Amino acid sequence: MAVIEAEHLSKRFGKKVLAVDDVSFSVEPGTITGFLGPNGAGKTTTLRMIVDLVRPSGGAVRVLGSRYRDLARPTTRVGALLDASGFHPGRSGANALRVVAAGAGISYDRVDAALEMVELGGAARRAVKGYSTGMKQRLALAAALLGDPEVLILDEPANGLDPEGIRWLRTFLRARAAEGRTVLVSSHVLAEVEQTVDDILIISKGKLLAQGPISELTRSAQPVVRVRSPQAEKLEELLAARGAAVNRLGDALAVRGPASAEVGEVAQSGGVVLHELLTEQPSLEELFLQIAGTRKEA
Amino acid sequence: MSALLRAELLKLRSTRTALGMGIAAALVTVLPAILLIAFLPKGTIAGDEARTILIAGSGLVTYILLVFGILGMTGEYRHGTITYTYLATPRRGRVMVVKLVVYALVGCLAMLLALLLANLIGVIGLPIRGVSFPALDGAALADYARQIVTAGLITAFGVALGALFRAQVVTVAGTLIWALMVEPLIVAFKPHIGAWLPFNVFSQVISLQIGADGGAAEGLSRPAAFLVSIGYIAVFSVAAVFISMRRDVT
Repeated sequence: MAVIEAEHLSKRFGKKVLAVDDVSFSVEPGTITGFLGPNGAGKTTTLRMIVDLVRPSGGAVRVLGSRYRDLARPTTRVGALLDASGFHPGRSGANALRVVAAGAGISYDRVDAALEMVELGGAARRAVKGYSTGMKQRLALAAALLGDPEVLILDEPANGLDPEGIRWLRTFLRARAAEGRTVLVSSHVLAEVEQTVDDILIISKGKLLAQGPISELTRSAQPVVRVRSPQAEKLEELLAARGAAVNRLGDALAVRGPASAEVGEVAQSGGVVLHELLTEQPSLEELFLQIAGTRKEA
Repeated sequence: MSALLRAELLKLRSTRTALGMGIAAALVTVLPAILLIAFLPKGTIAGDEARTILIAGSGLVTYILLVFGILGMTGEYRHGTITYTYLATPRRGRVMVVKLVVYALVGCLAMLLALLLANLIGVIGLPIRGVSFPALDGAALADYARQIVTAGLITAFGVALGALFRAQVVTVAGTLIWALMVEPLIVAFKPHIGAWLPFNVFSQVISLQIGADGGAAEGLSRPAAFLVSIGYIAVFSVAAVFISMRRDVT
């Protein structure tokens, strides 16, 4: 059974803004699913609909087989990081979590455990207004972990984290998935989650463009041929004349369309010297651009 | 419900807002009482007059409690804590009911403490001026009881206003302008309409000036004023609960 199941989910704000448009997807247990798309794509609205903070205009979403509001003690089943600034600045980090724990019927013992888990134990008594952006992000993550939930829904959890923090987050999420927990994590920085996620959902302008295991989606995507040549400009012209999509940066070309053998033959017939020729599977970012581009053309 | 109650009480204890409001309420209770006892002619602070003087600041306490109620609710939106509140308790109606009840009780308790403080000032200050402290008869206790209950209602009214309007500064400023400027003008120029307006109704409930027949010249009878004030609280609270249940938290 899918852990999160959205069916024809839509959300309209006012008459003009269709933030989420007929989105259907499922998140499988024990996986890390990346919910990817640019800013304003509808990610946050969708995540907030999952946990009943935003009412869908159409469709339905279930988490662990029920509406979020119908779960008994929901924060012990589903942990959500949706707003890292959602703490009173005058409360200490520990008290901010105690308020959340009290409302959720969770023992205060979990507060210390959650703070230790996100490595904020030393700052527990400091007022939240003295926290850095990264510390607030960790505090919000601790709030999501308070109930030791089997499902984590994280909206842009890497925002404000430094490179070390992002690496820590990756390891952290992997560890949660290894425990059999399910993670749905949104991000607009695709490279950030590329090494972390098993499955992806790609959303743009409120519409779901693709979903599935990241390995399958990248395999099905068009590979990129990378070429380095002192005559890159000439080679670009030759390849473009054959209908290839070419991006040139200095002496480097990224070619979509022809296979590497064909690129080599074009270079040889045009008398172009090559210093490098290799085929790469596209990055998540390139995959996203391909999918978004395909849908645009369609 | 007990988890929500615990959370609300912890919210009150874990910031300085409640403490600041408590200090402000104590100051507006103590200072007027001390100054009036110290400087008014002896003849004007004896007998029943003494009671009026002692609770001169209680009107201001009700406005502090009104603002306290507004801050209690709008603070959830201002600081974004409403997200965690509703994640923990997605049944939003329960959240609102508990908040209204907790703030009403805190309002009652705050007014009780203010009245005790005012009477303590009287017990100590009046004999220093050579005036005996007036006996706490049934009428005095009834006045105090009305003030305590109305303080609770006004604090809950603040919570309901906060839930309806959300924007903290706008709600506080708008409510105080309405209560301290707009309503008094309407009462002055159109007393038959003014008698039914909420803050005037609250003040009619707690007024010590209403005659023994229970009515005032341009106002409602005290029982009617009490019923109308309950009506205002009920309507605004139900509206606050209803809107909170339907509102998107974005």
